[in-house]
Amino acid sequence: MVQDELLKIFDNNLISRLADKAKDQIEYWDIRASSKEGSSVEFTDNKSKEISAYQINKCGIRTFLNGGWGFLVLENPNKQDIFNKFDEAIKLAKFSESMVKHNFKIKESDSINERFEIKSKKNLLDVGIEEKIELVKHHEKTSSTFNSNIKNTHTFYYDVTAQTIFVNSFGSEIKQDLSLLRIYNEVYAAKNGLVQRGRNSVGGLGGFEITTTDKAKKISKKSAKQATELLDAKSPIGGSFTLIMDPKLTGTFIHEAFGHACEADHILNKESILEGKIGKKVALDKVTIIDDPTMGKGKELGLPYELYGSYFVDDEGIPAQKLRIIEDGILKNYLHNLETASRMGEKPNGHGRASSSTSKPQVRMGITLLQPGDWKLDEIIEETNEGILCEDFQYGYTDPTSGNFQFKCKMSYKIENGEKRELMRDVALSGMTLEVLNRISAIGNKISYSDGMCGKGGQGVRVCDGGPYIRVEDITVGGLG
Amino acid sequence: MKNQNELLDLLQYGLNFINKSNENIRASELFLNNNEYINIEIEENSIKNSEIGEETGLAVRIIDNRGTLGFSFTNFIEKKPIKDTIRNAIKMMKAGTPDPDFKDLPSTINNYPSINRLYDKDIEILKIEDCFAYVEDLIKLCNNDDMAISQTSRFKTNISQTFILNTNGIEISGKETVCSIMSNIIVKDKTTNETSFGYNWQSKREIKELDVLKVGQKSLEDAKSNLNRKKVKNMKVPLVLTPFGTLSLIMRPIASAIDAETYQYNRSFLVGKKGKKIGTPHLTIEDNALMDGSSGSYRFDDEGVPCKDKTIVEEGKFLEDGLLHNSYTANKDNTESTGNGFRSSYSSTPSIGTTNFVFSTGDIKKDEIIGSVKKGILLDYTGDSPNISTGDFSGLILHGALIEDGEIKHPLNETMLGINLLDLFQKIDAVSEEYQVFGSYRAPYVRIKEVNIIGSAK
Repeated sequence: MVQDELLKIFDNNLISRLADKAKDQIEYWDIRASSKEGSSVEFTDNKSKEISAYQINKCGIRTFLNGGWGFLVLENPNKQDIFNKFDEAIKLAKFSESMVKHNFKIKESDSINERFEIKSKKNLLDVGIEEKIELVKHHEKTSSTFNSNIKNTHTFYYDVTAQTIFVNSFGSEIKQDLSLLRIYNEVYAAKNGLVQRGRNSVGGLGGFEITTTDKAKKISKKSAKQATELLDAKSPIGGSFTLIMDPKLTGTFIHEAFGHACEADHILNKESILEGKIGKKVALDKVTIIDDPTMGKGKELGLPYELYGSYFVDDEGIPAQKLRIIEDGILKNYLHNLETASRMGEKPNGHGRASSSTSKPQVRMGITLLQPGDWKLDEIIEETNEGILCEDFQYGYTDPTSGNFQFKCKMSYKIENGEKRELMRDVALSGMTLEVLNRISAIGNKISYSDGMCGKGGQGVRVCDGGPYIRVEDITVGGLG
Repeated sequence: MKNQNELLDLLQYGLNFINKSNENIRASELFLNNNEYINIEIEENSIKNSEIGEETGLAVRIIDNRGTLGFSFTNFIEKKPIKDTIRNAIKMMKAGTPDPDFKDLPSTINNYPSINRLYDKDIEILKIEDCFAYVEDLIKLCNNDDMAISQTSRFKTNISQTFILNTNGIEISGKETVCSIMSNIIVKDKTTNETSFGYNWQSKREIKELDVLKVGQKSLEDAKSNLNRKKVKNMKVPLVLTPFGTLSLIMRPIASAIDAETYQYNRSFLVGKKGKKIGTPHLTIEDNALMDGSSGSYRFDDEGVPCKDKTIVEEGKFLEDGLLHNSYTANKDNTESTGNGFRSSYSSTPSIGTTNFVFSTGDIKKDEIIGSVKKGILLDYTGDSPNISTGDFSGLILHGALIEDGEIKHPLNETMLGINLLDLFQKIDAVSEEYQVFGSYRAPYVRIKEVNIIGSAK
């Protein structure tokens, strides 16, 4: 990528000519373009499976008229293409508008003219592919030699360096220089025909230094250890239990079962259990949930990079901000993009996010967190007579209309008389989101975050979620019978 | 977009550039894919977004004499960036480790099957304004229904062109169309305020085959049938899978378990079961790429290997050659690729995918199947999927019902099911003659003799 090549396309001349075209025809438009290059290294069983490099430029033009949206996607854009295709994009908004039932206007927000940059100590473009390969090799070796039960290892590293530009009809012009990476390690262990898996990942915004943190260094050993331990784990027995969730599972619950229900597009589409609940009590007094994707959290945690779910501005040019969702048990806010905020008479709060410049922004979470309480983990366990301590999750899903959720946990320990006992695998727990928020009997005093990709409507965006250990009463656990 | 000849010339230029290089190259491949699409979205039962777009990309795979793969891709389809991308792929290749299993890329093949109706001229000439007629029916359907409170749906058409050239003599190109409709309808019981959703979709090669209204009606029907949900107690009873249930509990897990890559890494619950009975004689499954006009049909896969029709499970027996291969996994097993090397996009290397995945229908009516159950559970949808390496399944029934005296009584709340798939296959005791098509999957109703249900009623 030639530095700033893409950014130069969007000069004042082009922008004012586009504005002239849009005038008297449509009410709002924005353009997002990105120039990305990156690499990936994938190893299986200590062998390179795929080593790749790429270079991609893309652009999406979005148009709006009285409730109808148009979206036009361009490969590898140049000034002439953007100028010519803009007419077609205008037409698309007009088509939508001619059929739309809910007419509304987009409320103008303040324009931003700024250039944001993710700082890194070790710039990804300066790191040779050989060094990335050495890193992946190291993790492969660590997990494959952990013990003789390890049958299969898989490590995947990828990085992206991108320049992006956002311009809109409110006069915003936002340029960003971004870099991020993620490394993922998966291990399969086998014994007597039984196969178990452990997997862990670390991701962040920054340079190659992300891979040198303690957490990043430990992923392969951790995966191998988990897979091995699960070989001797017992199958759970179904029933109703007191459950202690670790920060990862708490985060997943807050994100999957609760967070999605706070997305204002779901509210408008009547597919959320939280419709009409603003200002009402939805959880116990001690429950406070926020979404705060602003930069700086990495530093607070002593990490040399920004958390994976953080961003400067969302994909509609609205700054990331700390948002209270539940405060002391009361539902305070939904997550909004430009459209939902305009329609519901609220201010946009920075949650219009898209997976790339060729996808439309949707209402999405950033970094979602259950605030800590005052219980120490030891106390929570000691004061639990009988229950299950669940650490980490495999996956989860929720029926948005009813709030019925299920999560499959990774490592689950029986609790008996206040003591942590044997390990169980594949504990599947289910319940109703709002009931759980009202059955929390202890909230831990320490939080941690985990990162991942969240999928919605076919788009994946970077997110984090987190919280402390919590204890919940009366949760249904399904076993294999 | 450049025309077909210009693109082929560019690819040939790339291949010549590779051939002139002095590296220890064993084989290389250029893959180019171009998509042009229309996408209309309905939200809150109203048109929300109209979208058109184009995606073009070129991917280069190069392997050296050590079997090391280098991969690179770009969306700049011009001579200079193509050369840069090839140089990148070579650089990646040289940095990698040897892989004796990566023996070669596929070689010249001339016997490509002919399949009718994979390309629809009507889609090519379709303008976005013509597409509104298709979604209007869906909107009307919900407007005219008292209980329907919202609908999200999506209408899509895509024209795809693929070119594959490799140094082993493969040179093939093809053009395909696909159109699809997805509908998710939310209903509300006005007296109890209970809500529920129904979800259905269809994808076809030809637009005249698309039955938009049927998809909407099915979603609406499913949503309504899941109102007034009740908890049930633990029980050990027969289970009836709807076609959607069969898809998620039997067909998708088998599709994952017969992926040769998963199998070779011993991550499949079917490892060690080749040539053995894994189910009752009611279980017959094929992967058939050659069905005329079907959305899972292909003449060649994304490595340029001809596609075919393969039986996977025959009357309960998992066949010796029941795995799906791309060229890499086939070489590793000293067999031939089954033509199942597919890429999710040009930006990834070929992994393994199914074509049309078909569960053979039985000879009994679905009403007889349900009618035969004195007390049992109907399973339509679970958000869950089994653990492919163990075959264990333990999941929440999101759409299901209690069956009593051969009749569907009421839908379920907080009800879970736990079973191992091999156990489930051995308990299949009836398959319906009716089936439903979900994109490239064809699934019938299936009855399982007995399963453990974990209810939450006290």
